[in-house]
Amino acid sequence: MSKPASLSLDQAPPIGVPLRFFLTAPLFALTAALLLLWQGPDLFSSRWNPALLGLTHLLTLGFIGLTMLGAILQMLPVVASAPMRRPVLIATFVHALGTGGIGLLCYGLIFTAPLALQIALPTLGTVFLLFSALVVITIRRSPAHNMTARAMRLAALMLAATVLLGLILLSNHAFGWWLQTREILTNLHLTWGLLGWIGILVVGVAYQVVPMFQLTPPYPATLTRWLAALLFILLLGLAPASHFPTLLIVLKAMLAAGFASFALTTLWLQSQRRRTLPDVTLSFWHGGMISLLLAVSLWLAAQCVPAWGVTQSYGLLLGTLMIVGFAMSVINGMLYKIVPFLVWFHLQSRRGANGPKVPNVRELLPESRTRRQMRLHFFALGALLAAVLSPSIFTYPAALLFGASSLWLWLNMVSASRTFRKVNALLGQTTASAG
Amino acid sequence: MPERILDARWLEPPEPMELTLAAIDGLEPGEHLRLLIHRTPHMLFPILKEWGFDYRTHTLDDGTHEIFIWRKEQAAAGDPGPA
Repeated sequence: MSKPASLSLDQAPPIGVPLRFFLTAPLFALTAALLLLWQGPDLFSSRWNPALLGLTHLLTLGFIGLTMLGAILQMLPVVASAPMRRPVLIATFVHALGTGGIGLLCYGLIFTAPLALQIALPTLGTVFLLFSALVVITIRRSPAHNMTARAMRLAALMLAATVLLGLILLSNHAFGWWLQTREILTNLHLTWGLLGWIGILVVGVAYQVVPMFQLTPPYPATLTRWLAALLFILLLGLAPASHFPTLLIVLKAMLAAGFASFALTTLWLQSQRRRTLPDVTLSFWHGGMISLLLAVSLWLAAQCVPAWGVTQSYGLLLGTLMIVGFAMSVINGMLYKIVPFLVWFHLQSRRGANGPKVPNVRELLPESRTRRQMRLHFFALGALLAAVLSPSIFTYPAALLFGASSLWLWLNMVSASRTFRKVNALLGQTTASAG
Repeated sequence: MPERILDARWLEPPEPMELTLAAIDGLEPGEHLRLLIHRTPHMLFPILKEWGFDYRTHTLDDGTHEIFIWRKEQAAAGDPGPA
């Protein structure tokens, strides 16, 4: 059984540390929607289309990467049971170089601008490799070894491996030389990124947040003990197995089974929860797990009908299900728990005993607003999947829906942040007048 | 010693903490709060300390955590909290 993690007042970094990441990330998703609107149906012409590579990285690095960086900077002191040194300086460095580097990378890919890519290469390399090292070293030194911390460390190692491969591939675009093994490396890069960094991190975080927030029974101990490590080993094995087709298919089948068992266990636990009140975050998790299962089924179908597995739409469907359906849904849902909670927690600790009342989490982000954004997100996902299959009809509606959903998420984040600033200022006045 | 009871079992975080902090706000000297909760409220303890409250925890047979909370001044005045 894992040791429960907790956050104490003296360990929590200032709210601005994670919040800057959560406020920036939806803007990258919005930019991706605008890019889709601008490029139109041609964007889906090939997985190697530079604009599509730019769009993919706006979502994977810009939206998913930044929120995960912010959430980890928030969680690291909890996992390590010790406050982080200079959290604001680290957050400022990671955020500024991260957003700048991601912006340059996507600009360089979309507009074929080698100079932008040449600057993005060392910038992103420095940020993500230093960040991976920070996570791995902090967790290694930590006295608490819960299963979430272990998974987080494995995910950070996968991030480092993904970034190293990404840097090699980026150097191809930046300096105009082409590796013969580019396709193998690209497949490994995206598999390690999506299943290793994002997948293992979601698995590890789920061990804590699903039972805690959704009031479910805990994940089975066998699963929490072995799953993340097993997924990590299988993913590493993909590299040497790329020259042995039979071994490759066995490893991929075991990976598919591992992720399917995680999704099915999560859905089963959620069906066992103590309270049956509707909850937006729970619905986001449901959507995320169903997308993961659909991705696994799609992969299985492609193994049965190999001719279909080599079509253009297969890879794009798989990517859309994993990025928008699985990762973005879970992250979007978690933001609606994390952000109001952090705002409330920091205001509450600022208020002190007998201070003025602070708004509760429901008042900070009313469910009516988050639920509508959630519906929009899933409509957008459906439209994006349809756009892959029939670009001429669905690309523009998908771009508009996805843009509206991203904008709404951003506005919800901004609203919670503004409430924090307003109430915090009021608390400051009260403290000053009391003093 | 007069007792207030708060049953926060199977409420979604941070509702148990919201209710607990609201309940202790109104605690009179000599009163204590008996909080029932389904998991150890790790995040609550540092706030209680900072706000000048003392607490004692106890686990019941069904796994429920029973937490007694009272103002520190009581202990200083010779009252060691609920027996």
